[in-house]
This record gives sequence, C-alpha cells and structure tokens, in this order.
Amino acid sequence: MRTTEGPYAMEKFFRRNFAGYAFLAPWLIGFFLLAIGPILASLWLSFTKYNIVRPPQWIGLDNYIYMFEFDDRFKKALQVTFSFVVISVPAKLIFALGVAMALDKGIRAIGWYRALFYLPSILGGSIAVAILWRQLFNYDGVVNSALRLVGLDGPYWLADPKYSLWTLIVLAVWQFGSPMLIFLAGLRAIPQELYEAAEIDAAGPVRKFFAITVPLLAPVIFFNLVLQMIEAFKSFSGAFIISGGSGAPLDSLLFFTVYLYDEAFSYLRMGYASALAWVLLLIIAAFTAIAFWTSKYWVHYENERG
Amino acid sequence: MSRLNRRTFMTKAGAAAGSVAVLSALGPQAFGQDKQVRHFWWGNPERDRRTFAVIDLYNSKNPGTVVSGETLGFDDYFTKLTTQIAGGNMPDVIQQGYGVLFEYIANGAVVPLDDYVGNSLDISKIDQSAIDAGTVDGKFYALSIGANSHMAIYNSRLFEAAGIVPGEDFDPYGYTYDDLARIGAQVKEATGVPGTDDNTADYQNFSDFIAQKGVKMFNPDGTYGATQEIVEEYWSIWQTIRDAGATPPGPESAGLAGVADLSQLGVVTGKSAMSYLWSNQLVGAQGLMEDTLGVAMYPNTPAMVPGSIVQPSQFICLTRDSVDPEAATAYMSAFVNDLDITAILGLERGIPSQVDVREALQPNLSPAEALSVEFFAGIQGKTAPLDPPPPSGSNEVEQTFERVAVSVLLGEKSIPEVATDFLAQAKAILARA
Repeated sequence: MRTTEGPYAMEKFFRRNFAGYAFLAPWLIGFFLLAIGPILASLWLSFTKYNIVRPPQWIGLDNYIYMFEFDDRFKKALQVTFSFVVISVPAKLIFALGVAMALDKGIRAIGWYRALFYLPSILGGSIAVAILWRQLFNYDGVVNSALRLVGLDGPYWLADPKYSLWTLIVLAVWQFGSPMLIFLAGLRAIPQELYEAAEIDAAGPVRKFFAITVPLLAPVIFFNLVLQMIEAFKSFSGAFIISGGSGAPLDSLLFFTVYLYDEAFSYLRMGYASALAWVLLLIIAAFTAIAFWTSKYWVHYENERG
Repeated sequence: MSRLNRRTFMTKAGAAAGSVAVLSALGPQAFGQDKQVRHFWWGNPERDRRTFAVIDLYNSKNPGTVVSGETLGFDDYFTKLTTQIAGGNMPDVIQQGYGVLFEYIANGAVVPLDDYVGNSLDISKIDQSAIDAGTVDGKFYALSIGANSHMAIYNSRLFEAAGIVPGEDFDPYGYTYDDLARIGAQVKEATGVPGTDDNTADYQNFSDFIAQKGVKMFNPDGTYGATQEIVEEYWSIWQTIRDAGATPPGPESAGLAGVADLSQLGVVTGKSAMSYLWSNQLVGAQGLMEDTLGVAMYPNTPAMVPGSIVQPSQFICLTRDSVDPEAATAYMSAFVNDLDITAILGLERGIPSQVDVREALQPNLSPAEALSVEFFAGIQGKTAPLDPPPPSGSNEVEQTFERVAVSVLLGEKSIPEVATDFLAQAKAILARA
C-alpha cells in the first residue's frame, strides 16, 4: 500500500486491489467463518470441562495441570511423536535430496520420473494407503513373504512395539515427493560454473557436495526442514489407521494427534482435547522458532552480504 | 434498458436457478405430509440387510411415514452419534447398548418413553425383565430388542477332525480352562490350527472371570472390584493355555487386542478353531463362514460359579432431537411387535423379548438361529445375575485392560507387574471420571 495520503486513499486502495481481494475472497470467507471461530472456541474450551452433551464448565488451568503432572499417556504420546519427527524428517530429507540429485543429471523423460516419484506424496496421506500399509506389514503380508523368500523370518511388524513405529517412518519417507521437487528446483539454481571451477581444482564428488551443493542449497534445505517438521508433528491418518485408532500396540503408535482424537471422541473429553491441541500448537511453534534461530548459523542467502 | 448484456443474463439465470433450488428444498415439507423418521444403528452386513428390509416393509405398510436408515460399524457408531449430539441433529431412533445407554440417559440425550406407552408404543407383550432393564429411576427409556449372553463358537469341522465330541470330551455348558487347554492343544495337534483364540486381552472373558471368582467388577462405591490376585490368576491361566500350544502365538493375538470386528475373529479368519463373542453375533459370524459353527459357554473354573450374564443385547431409544416422537415411537413399536417385521429381523439382534414374536419365529428359524435358541435353553440356571449399570469410566478401564494385556502377550513384562500397572490405571480412571 503505497498511497496513504488524501481522503480517497482507502477507496483508491480498494479499487486498485479489488481484483486481488475478489480472488482471495473464497479463502478469506472460509478462514473467517470456518477457521478463526473454531480456533478461538477451542482456546476457550481448553479451560473447561466439556463432554459435548452438557454445557462446558470453566475449570481454569486444571486441564493443563493434569496433563503435565498426572497424565502418563500424554508423556508417552510426546515421546512417540518426538521419536517419529526426529527420525522420519531427516531420513525423508536425505532420501529426497538423493533422488533429486540423481534426477538432476539430465535424464531423458525426466518429467515422467518426477511425476512418478511425486505420486506417493499425493497418495501417502490417504486412508487407502494406510490400509494397504497394514496389509503389507502384516505377519502374513507382502514384506514378510518377501523376507521368507530369502530365508528370513520377519517379525510381527505391527503387533510388536519394537517395530511398529518403523513401519510409519517408512511410510513417511516413502512420501518424499514434495521435498524432492523443491530440492530439484534448488539444484537447478546452482550455477554450473562453480562445479566446473571445483573440478579444475580437482575436487571429488564428496568435496563438491559438501563445499558447493550443501551451502548453496541451505535455504532450500531449511525450507524443507521446517515444512516437513510441521507436517510430521501433525501426522495422523497413518498412525490412526495402522494402530486401529488406539495407538496400539502398547501405545507405541500413540502419536500426539491420535491421543488427542482418542481423548476427544472415545472419552468425550473435548475440553482436555482442546488443551492438548493448544499444547501441540505451542510445541510446533517452539520447534519452528528454534529452527529459525539456528538458521542464522547455517543458512546463507546468495544476495546476503558478509 | 432491456438489452440483454452478459451481466443481466447472469443475474437472471442465477435468480432462476436459485428459485428452483429453494422450491426443491421446500419440496417435502411444502407438498407432502410425510412424517420423517431417521433410524440409526451399528451392525454388520447381515444386520444391515435385514434392517433395511424392515424399513422398506414399514414404509409400504404405513403410507404417510418415511423411515430412513443409517448404519455404521460399532467403532464409528458412537463417534458419529457424539458429533450429532453436539450438532443437535441426532436421528429420531437410535440403537444403544447396555452400559453406554445409562450415560446417554444421564446426559439427557435419550428421553423417556412413558408418555407414548399405551398410545403409539405398545409394550404389553414385552417381558417384564426387559422393561426393567430399560428403566432408570422409575422412568422407562429403552426398548430391548433382544437378550444376549457371552458365547464361545467353535469350528465343528476342525473339532470333528481332531476327534473331539462335544458332550463327551467337554461339556459345552460347563467346561474348565484346563479342558480348554487340553482340547485346544488336541485340535492344534490334529489339524495344525490352534484350538482357541487367546483371551488374555479380552475384557469380556475377564469380566466373566471376575464373576466366576465370586467378586463384583465394581464395588457399590464405584471403585474397581477385581484384585491383584484375580488379575494375575486370569493372565496366568491364559499363559498356561498358550504354553500348551492351544492358541496362536502371543504376538499374533496382540495384534488383535481390542478389535471388535467379526471378520477378524480367529474362527472366521481360520487362524483358530474357537472364538468368543456375544450370542447375538452368532448369526453374523456364521454368515461369514463356510464351516458350521458349534456353540459353548465361556470356560469356567472347577468351582463352576456362574460368570456370564444374560442382558439386553441392544435397545432402541428415542432421542432428544426427534422431530416427530409420535411417528418415531410408532415405528419402534412395530419394530418389536409387528410379526412381519420381527420375522425379517429373526434372532440377529438376540432373543426377542416379546412373547408372541418368539412363538412366531420358532418354526422358521435358520440353523444358526435355532442353535442360539438351543444355547439359551442350555445356559438356563448357569448364568450370573445382572449387575447394576457400570459407573462412567468403565469403558476406559476396558480399553486400558486391552492395551496393557498386550505386554503380557508379548512377554515384555511379568504378569504381576502388568497387573499392578492395570489396577493403578483403573483406579485413576475411575477417580477422574
């Protein structure tokens, strides 16, 4: 908004930007009518005891106090979620970067490969794939049948808490398509002269990767890291379906979101579930803030001086 | 001014489309006098088929009323109902189970039927015990649609192949956990299929066991009745059966803990020869199988103290949100009294509580239905009295049991440790509820 002077400033502003707002309108209407109301309501509900049928009852900070002092499942849910984020996000990024670098070599029919590798990202969050995953990792499933062919006796992937989380980590890594596409764009933006210059100086592929690719890709890595981290914290449908909605076995798949759902819809503790949701929001915000803070030390933008 | 440019054209077309939409939205109310009744139940394919046939029949018999049916699996049913309560759009007639029902009554989501009894709702032929089961504080809320009890079902072909003759090798109406270990191992030996599902994480069996030990699950003050000894003994008994080779491996059973789906029962999937359910589920389970099912009670201790109860399997209830309670209760009345309708329903929801209905059904029973009638004759005098409604939180205790029992199945922790853990959690849950 450049012109703020004069009596007609507002009118001018709207006339000039009308088309933009018109196009934004569906989203804005959706946000104000459908999102902001429930968000504020859930903040209020988090300070109440509310079982849907009876009106909410104000209980102050009781939900939060109970959560941090007495709730062992809450702690378990945090532990499971952190394990998932800490393992799946780096694994997914490394895998996505690897595939992106392989595709960056000017292969023929690259468009096909890109589409093919992106496909799991579209399908991955769906209920159908979660059910399929369940079948794959069943004791009599495809994975164990394949292992049996090479003479290995696979474990009970889903029923044994030692392995169950790994099936979901694999599911997450499999959905590497969207960070891969972003990496691919980032790789394209790295000037080839730098690699050529490095080759003249006899740098090997490893040296080139760490001295050129990683530093120049840092902003893209950072972007992917933040995005994937938020997504991993919010991950729900896979864990919900694969654990049968309960976080089973032995709460090893009790993702924060699954616990929240269980509290809300199995036990009708809507107030408590709202409090859990706000804690999750704060955790995500904190982690994002930490990521931004550390980025000062390892992310450098090309147009920066210094 | 009447030139038709694009803008005026669009406006007029829009107005025309809008008025059509408004008219059609008003349609049913404006032009028809039909009374609408929504009926919502949980079920299985067999139950859905029968219930939709009932609705069609009722609609054709009662012009002027349009009943529509909605159905979901048990797990999703209450989630949807909950959101409907929040939205104030519960269906008129809902299915309820013993236990959860009382929370709905306490919350006011289900309303009393007394005003309709004798008018739109006829309960004159319903068993007094069924009416009592649906009565709270002197008000009648819930219409029983069938009596139910715990039942073990076995694959007759596999039992025969193992040379097990019911009545000789074990008494289906009074056998012990030791008997079960013996015949289970025998079936495994002869057929390769483990003889029984593993009930370590099965709360239904555990609740039987508590009663078999002469203890009430909940004390009068609402605290949990089962003791450390009882929990340990229960898991040890199943450990013995598992160690005898009579069940699928522990981790396999762990994967099925808390799964309520009939299609996942060991006897249906072929992973065991015997599974445990509610007697009204026999018809549904048999519908999923080729082999013929045989029936038995749950196993017992040598003392043979009755553990299983007979209780209404399900109720139909009128909700707070019903638009036309007269029409809804008339439909409910037909659902339990009309002989054409009850002929379609058969025994799929349990043994009917209406005396004429029972007599009318007798000659036309399917083999599975005849078997459940025989079962009810067999368990007479061998069942425990019905407990008062469970306190709130009991549902969560049940799910906690199913969760922690998994570590027994996986052999991760010792039985005493898990039992202590379970009882501590149960205590905390009941205190919080």
